[in-house]
Amino acid sequence: MIDLNKELHKHSAFKSFRPGQEEVLLNLFAGQNTLAVLPTGGGKTLLYQLYGAITHQRVLIVSPLISLMQDQVGRLQYLGSKRVVAITSAMDFKERTAILRNLSHYQYIYVSPEMLVNQSVFPFVAQQNIGLFVIDEAHCITEWGPDFRPDYLRLGAVRKQLGNPLTLMMTATATQPTRTDILQRMGFSVGEARQVVMPTNRRNIFLSAKVCANQKEKNDQLESLVSHLDGSGIIYFSSKSQAEQIAAMLTQKTHKRVMAYHGGMDNQQRFRIQQQFMNDDIDIVCATSAFGMGIDKENVRFVIHYHLPNNIQSYVQEIGRCGRDQQPSLAILLYEPNDQYLQLGLIENTIPEEQLLSYLYQHPNELEKNDAFRVIKYYYDTGKSFEEAVSIFDQAKKHRIQELEAIIAYIYTTGCRRKLLLQHFDEVVNNENSEFCCDFHSDFWGHWREFNDHYLKGVKQVKRQRSTDWHQILNNLFLLKN
Amino acid sequence: MKLSTLYLLCGDPDQFRRAKAIKNVLIGRRTVSNLYWGLEYDLLSYFGVLRNFSLGDEQATIDALVRAKMVIVDEGLLYKLTPEGQDKKQELSNSLGATKELTTVVKYDIVRFSRRFIFAAQVISEYSYANSQYYPQTIGFFDDQLIKRWFIQNKERQLPQYFHDLLENFLTSLNSDLLANIFVQSLSGHKFSGETEEQIATETGLDPTIVQLQWLKLYAKLFLQLHDDRLTPLKLLLSDLERPVMSKSAQQTFDLFISQNKFNPAKIAQVRGIKLTTVLEHLLEAAIIQPRGQFPFDRLLTSSLKTKLRDNQSKVDGEWQFQDAKAHIPELQFFQFRLFQILERKLGQND
Ligand SMILES: [Zn+2]
Repeated sequence: MIDLNKELHKHSAFKSFRPGQEEVLLNLFAGQNTLAVLPTGGGKTLLYQLYGAITHQRVLIVSPLISLMQDQVGRLQYLGSKRVVAITSAMDFKERTAILRNLSHYQYIYVSPEMLVNQSVFPFVAQQNIGLFVIDEAHCITEWGPDFRPDYLRLGAVRKQLGNPLTLMMTATATQPTRTDILQRMGFSVGEARQVVMPTNRRNIFLSAKVCANQKEKNDQLESLVSHLDGSGIIYFSSKSQAEQIAAMLTQKTHKRVMAYHGGMDNQQRFRIQQQFMNDDIDIVCATSAFGMGIDKENVRFVIHYHLPNNIQSYVQEIGRCGRDQQPSLAILLYEPNDQYLQLGLIENTIPEEQLLSYLYQHPNELEKNDAFRVIKYYYDTGKSFEEAVSIFDQAKKHRIQELEAIIAYIYTTGCRRKLLLQHFDEVVNNENSEFCCDFHSDFWGHWREFNDHYLKGVKQVKRQRSTDWHQILNNLFLLKN
Repeated sequence: MKLSTLYLLCGDPDQFRRAKAIKNVLIGRRTVSNLYWGLEYDLLSYFGVLRNFSLGDEQATIDALVRAKMVIVDEGLLYKLTPEGQDKKQELSNSLGATKELTTVVKYDIVRFSRRFIFAAQVISEYSYANSQYYPQTIGFFDDQLIKRWFIQNKERQLPQYFHDLLENFLTSLNSDLLANIFVQSLSGHKFSGETEEQIATETGLDPTIVQLQWLKLYAKLFLQLHDDRLTPLKLLLSDLERPVMSKSAQQTFDLFISQNKFNPAKIAQVRGIKLTTVLEHLLEAAIIQPRGQFPFDRLLTSSLKTKLRDNQSKVDGEWQFQDAKAHIPELQFFQFRLFQILERKLGQND
């Protein structure tokens, strides 16, 4: 029998496992395919890093975003694994060819689903012995979700072609229907895969929401919160330009150091702001939801949503980025009635209209030309008729609107927010702590500054004195031995 | 980079300039037309200087500059600086300083060099603290391998001391604390994450694009210094950064053209198995890029044709068009017209 705790100490700096990690590893070592639902910050990377380190086998990780993959490669290198590589569409042909030719040198291989099914890539991957096949962000397989990626649906077939390697599917939140869907799409029948599902509830996060009369009031409320809340924070937006505008506004009107952070930035900028945030050189990042999927900052004290999240699952994931250190933390959702139209507009934009669909079905060679048509192409290629496709997208739209309504119901609820959130995951609140739960049990909005003084201020945060003198900076950068 | 700042820097108060062509010159889109406008606007020595950057949309940028009353426009996205625009240009030029170093950026991939250097500095900074747990930057597969190889080959060479002394001396030699500060903020390393151009801009009052251009200039300067230092342990970081001044194919055409055989364009097309129009484009590229004395204009333009063209040009106000000349000289080909313009432009520059 393998001594997992001993291995943990040998291969990482962690003192103990987080909830669920050990159970997942035991399943894997027993040769069981596993679906793991571990909350954000639950240490998903460690699972396959440790499995690879102990067994010396090759690990293939399917991951949805380039930026996320780069963060993960960085994280794995940070954790001490050097033979890591990511195959992404951002690489040029020469670079990709060189990596594919040398694939056997790498123990951890990250790849996007689109790259993996690519005919110029797959044969190289298929030549390798894969000890563990990891599907990260496995909820992307769900057709009704906003993160749906059609190539995730091919992973079941890919797994067969790879000779059915041991498989680990991971996601941060998944309702029961989502979990069933993931297993079914991956080609597992009931009993063929184990499930390790950790509670979604994060007791150290206080939940609150506020309805503002209009955008002006929302901005004033945000400014006031940012001025007075202590510690690091993330503010989520649904558009890059808004993230930038509000970051500029907050920089101007508060004494906090605020930066925008989103997918439109280049690698260098992203890296720098990420590092500054990790090092507490900046207090707050204004981010789009793509941000932070791979960031691992322990002491984020609050998450504010300036725009509506896509759905309850995304909301739970996004607020999960605060309080990883288990210290008291705060989730705030700010809302003004126009926000729902913005969100509706986003839904309209991501779901093709019948007219476009009809045009593309008549001119299928156009489907190749735009990546935005990938989902349509998938249905076309799998033989769905025009009428079927229309109905599928219609359903998806209805589903997205229902999800939006669920979020709005969460905002306007007159009961316990935690209870309502957890209902979506078939969980109930145990050991209710009405003193630190949500703004239903007390007049939070009348006393949020006291809340801050009581819960957030106490958490020690080391503010480093930043040098602005270049001689000093050079001396600190390079430690010289005399 | 902000295209608006670049348009101001490359604009002129007297001449309407083509916004599209200027952007194409800066990002180095190599067509004869872009090269020609680069020559016309005296921007040829910056051809491709910003090829690593995305510059934004020209129409939206010009619209914004018009609203700000910095430029006036003519049809086809031609723009000219207003007096306010000219003042702003002057202010930006003053904060940018001399642009000679930017010509190094045309000849060498300085952005790539800076990424290698910044990554190497991070590795050495953490190494000097014996720290192996940190988030490395991502600079691409090949350069990643290069830095690994470089580190293994050189780690016995007191690299922390070397980096410290190199940068201390280099930054002192700038004689400007402002520039030295801008430079160090491009680095990252042990418990130091540097700053973005926006952050530096906020602190210094400079335009963020000027900060980026200063970085380019500073890294070009550092590159040249290391390039001349035969003993530097950073030699590997300087490899494979040359950029050819002419495209490979155009160079081959030009070599045949000036070879002892004195092949004419038709013969070159036949020898190389390419289209005559392609050969003519190659020759135009060479005529633009080569110094005037190096390109035998006389072999392609007879003196009688030159006289006719000069005569026609003097009668036209504003931008002289091929159609004007063709109406006057029916046998004229566009190739000859363009070549003549290049020659005239080069003669003018030497006055
Ligand atoms: Zn509650």
